[in-house]
Amino acid sequence: MSGSTLGWTTESRGGARIVAPAGRVDEATATEFTERLREAAAAGGGTLVLDLAGIAYMSSRGLRALTLAQRKGSEAGTTIVLARPNPTMREILAISRYDMVFKVAETIEDALA
Amino acid sequence: MLVRFWGTRGSLPVAAKANAVRNKIAAALVAASGRTFADEGAAREFLESELDFAAAHTYGGATSCVEVDVGQGPFIVCDMGSGLRELGLDSLRRCTQEGHAREWHFFLSHLHWDHIMGFPFFVPAFVPGSKIVIHSGHADAEEALRRQQEEISFPVPFDYLRAEIEFRTLEPGREYEIGAVTVSLIEQHHSHSSYGFRFRDAAGKVAIYSTDSEHKIDRMEGEADVVAFFADADLVVCDTMYSLADSVSMKEDWGHSSNIVAVDLCHEARARRLALFHHEPTYSDADIARMHHETIRYEELTRGAVALEVLCAYDGLCVEV
Repeated sequence: MSGSTLGWTTESRGGARIVAPAGRVDEATATEFTERLREAAAAGGGTLVLDLAGIAYMSSRGLRALTLAQRKGSEAGTTIVLARPNPTMREILAISRYDMVFKVAETIEDALA
Repeated sequence: MLVRFWGTRGSLPVAAKANAVRNKIAAALVAASGRTFADEGAAREFLESELDFAAAHTYGGATSCVEVDVGQGPFIVCDMGSGLRELGLDSLRRCTQEGHAREWHFFLSHLHWDHIMGFPFFVPAFVPGSKIVIHSGHADAEEALRRQQEEISFPVPFDYLRAEIEFRTLEPGREYEIGAVTVSLIEQHHSHSSYGFRFRDAAGKVAIYSTDSEHKIDRMEGEADVVAFFADADLVVCDTMYSLADSVSMKEDWGHSSNIVAVDLCHEARARRLALFHHEPTYSDADIARMHHETIRYEELTRGAVALEVLCAYDGLCVEV
């Protein structure tokens, strides 16, 4: 563990919540990413947009955290939408087939639509 | 150390059908674009140099069987899938032609059918003078092998076999000197459990055989043990049967892993090479090739300081470690 941490901002827009982590989601940051995202998914229903614009890349631990958060969210009535992946993240979502189990939007507006 | 792949398919043996072969030939003829070849050697050279692997070959369809050849001592064989039939015949040839000792040591990942179905067709077991030692983390390995040769399943009973056969139960956390290798094992998550094996030869080369291992989504912290087991390996043979999305959704608890998790574990373990293994039986050669190319790309995207070479195992592949 390198001790590195993720940036993390949240906002509300159009009745939805938007969380925007920043950095690399790898073995050093995956636990923090998992806990924060699950917490957000469990807190209230509606749409939770995960803004990926600040995520450089995500390993399998981060991807699996998305699934854990999705499970937690389904208990709370939260739908997670992924938004603004960079080209690397878009490739990773395609290779892992996560783009077939999550809605992936090009913009925040599309995610909220 | 040489690692030979005799069976690489998961769950069920499969074979390329007539139309698959026809389609490959048709595509190769189109790619040749009217060229002529002096002989079959020149045609083969064209296939090797100008067509990708899946266009000119097949990954094969025999189930799990991998040989670890360290150049001395008994035969070392991981699992007894349907690939074992051909290994049995080839190893007898080596005994006859090269004077190899008639001694086989098996290491069973687990006892599910696709990993033991080759044993009733393992010819050395029928030959007097053969010595066979079956190592397993499971105490019920003998029961599994005897049961599949009961009359209801197979015409030749286990007791008819003429080889000297011994069963040994191994324990995780210990190192064993067996033949010319040092072996250790780790328990893995799979129905009725499975075990991964770590083989180290006298030169210090390390090969890992880790199949039918599900890395559970709710136990990610426990993967440190797997990383430690894979540490600095020269080759990791890894179960990569499903996409990550499948392995955590509709195929969760089916006991298998993904190409993505395999790369991450190998990166973290600083392994040098990964062999994708236990291919999904519904996959065509093109599907497996696509998975291989995607895995290479994922490795590039997530690579740290050290590159990991990603191989795709096929029946007949021999890797020098």
